[in-house]
Amino acid sequence: MRPFKAIGDFFDERFEMRRVLREFADHNVPDHVNWLYCFGGITFLCFLIQAFTGILLAFYYQPTMDDAYSSVLFIMEEVPYGAIVRSLHAWTANIMIIMVIIHMLRVFFHGAYRPPREMNWLTGVLLFFMTITFGFSGYLLPMNQLAYWATKVGTEIAGAMPFVGSYVQVFLMGGERISDATLTRFYTIHVIILPVVLSLFLVLHFVMIRKQGISEPL
Amino acid sequence: MNQPERRETSPEEHQKGGVPFFPDHFVKEMSVMALVAAILWFLATLMPMPMGEPADPLRTPPGIKPEWYFLAVFQILKYVPKDAGIIFSFLIFPPLLMLFPLTYNWYSKYTYGRLVVHTIGALGVLTAVFLSLLAYLGFE
Ligand code: HEM
Repeated sequence: MRPFKAIGDFFDERFEMRRVLREFADHNVPDHVNWLYCFGGITFLCFLIQAFTGILLAFYYQPTMDDAYSSVLFIMEEVPYGAIVRSLHAWTANIMIIMVIIHMLRVFFHGAYRPPREMNWLTGVLLFFMTITFGFSGYLLPMNQLAYWATKVGTEIAGAMPFVGSYVQVFLMGGERISDATLTRFYTIHVIILPVVLSLFLVLHFVMIRKQGISEPL
Repeated sequence: MNQPERRETSPEEHQKGGVPFFPDHFVKEMSVMALVAAILWFLATLMPMPMGEPADPLRTPPGIKPEWYFLAVFQILKYVPKDAGIIFSFLIFPPLLMLFPLTYNWYSKYTYGRLVVHTIGALGVLTAVFLSLLAYLGFE
């Protein structure tokens, strides 16, 4: 163990690592905390898997009408472990949404949203809608029949919103039909905007949880 | 806003009772995560996501459906006037959901307040599941 201790000491002397770690680990959670309280963490795990597999997919994926489908096919058939990485990404996308819904129901039925945790519920609802939007924007990217037509229907529904609908639709799609512009926008939303914004709200969510502790049962 | 009637225990009070986050809860959390990771790995390796056919803007496939988490909204829009359904789903429901905790100080004053709220919530969830099933099975 001596080399580990030496490395530990090295960083501790410079950055007080042990204090930081203790700050993170050294607190109590209420007695009643059971496995139902793990779903927030599992949602976070899903997010980490999505970030990792998503970056790998971005090495090969091409967001254009002509190349999107074939680039995904290439990932599935030619790239080493490509099929596993893409399948992991697509499966985890669905599981993440199931997990965030279970987490939300846990919070609802435990009344964990009650004062003083209202802001945590609020950031949670935003995280929920961002997770859904992640799914919606990612679904189009492989450009298969299912994706294309589901997105067409989805964007038409958004476009039917009173007053703002047509603007939302043009903003999302870069025009009235699904085109290169649409793919570029969905891709930007999916790999840049949502990851950044969701991460920021995750930090808020986690800081508030750490500050307030886990709620007592009702 | 009123002061909450029942203050929560502060983090300092948490320190006294309960179980340590590390290692007790941390180990539980890691075990559940390992289980989920294993399930995901089995899904991804044994059931690769199908590619489907390439998109063809000129050929509409029969029975278009959104992804499963949109099915409930999709089904509602079949029953209610489109404008009303869309205004409710996109403009009214989300802010109501965000502000929902503000109802606590009010409903907790009543003996059955929580029971009523939880029942409404449960019925809402069941309705959403039921509507999704209808949409999945293709009912009009
Ligand atoms: C990306 C999505 C989300 C992640 C990664 C996440 C993560 C977490 C984690 C790790 C916890 C600690 C306790 C637990 O796991 O139960 C937590 C607590 C909490 N979450 Fe989330 N969450 C997400 C979405 C949501 C949503 C959608 C809501 C509700 C609308 C929500 C509301 C809360 C509240 C109120 C707490 C405090 C619970 C308590 O003190 O008992 N979160 N979240």
